[in-house]
Amino acid sequence: MAPGAELPMETQVVATTEGLHQLGALAFERRAIVEACGTPQSLAELAVRLGLHLNVVRVLAGDLRAGRFLTVHEPRAAISTDVDVLRRVINGLRAIPTAAGRA
Amino acid sequence: MDFIAGPRTLPEPAPAPMPVKMVIAGGFGVGKTTAVAAVSDVPPLTTEAAITEVAAGVDDISLTPDKTTTTVAMDFGSVMLDPTLKLYLFGTPGQDRFGFMWDDVTEGALGALVVVDSRRLEDCFPAVDYFERRTMPFAVAVNRFAGAVPHPLDAVREALDVESEVPVIEFDARDSESVRDSLIIVLELALARAMAAA
Repeated sequence: MAPGAELPMETQVVATTEGLHQLGALAFERRAIVEACGTPQSLAELAVRLGLHLNVVRVLAGDLRAGRFLTVHEPRAAISTDVDVLRRVINGLRAIPTAAGRA
Repeated sequence: MDFIAGPRTLPEPAPAPMPVKMVIAGGFGVGKTTAVAAVSDVPPLTTEAAITEVAAGVDDISLTPDKTTTTVAMDFGSVMLDPTLKLYLFGTPGQDRFGFMWDDVTEGALGALVVVDSRRLEDCFPAVDYFERRTMPFAVAVNRFAGAVPHPLDAVREALDVESEVPVIEFDARDSESVRDSLIIVLELALARAMAAA
């Protein structure tokens, strides 16, 4: 299996400073991915932004990580049963502005 | 002149937030994307996900016996909860009735909201069944459609035959506060389970 093929779709990808400086070494989709990743985003968002299939982005992101153009931040293992994370998400959702809150 | 760092022409990319995700499931046209849109910071995006298995006996796979994956459109949104924590909301593809093997979407999710139109209750059976088998925390959220005859929640619970632990609630997929509160109900169940297991 290609590196990256198993990455969850919410995995965050960020360009490295070196990657942004070496854009000229890349072409086509690889270059577009590194350019877009000047802002951290998920593989799913990247796929939409660049009009690429999610699985293509997964594989290319894996390649680009190996080449140190990108850093890839996979969700933590067992995050779904992490009490601290669950509490943070609950508190975060309670604080988001809703239509009623804005009215 | 002493240069300690090299010349910087590009700003350092911002650090990535920790991603977490929840799933919004249910039958076709029950309001999944509406619910995602109600709380997402950005209008829902559509990408393609692979369904890796087709429910035998439901979809006709006899014509393509070798085909084990198919690609479907999937809507998702996101909420920046704080600068280091980003919640993604993935709506499962609309073809729920035809197959429900979306491990690609649900893997690692904190929990799921199963959206139900009480006039077409059976459409949510595959989703309920899926999350029960995965032992993923979920709640059943009956969407209040304008003009729809409301069914008592007790009757919905009885028809779905879900465990007593599973919340069966009413919500409005268009209302951000209602969707937000429904997601919190799912997360509180997830938290209770995580604490019980700790």
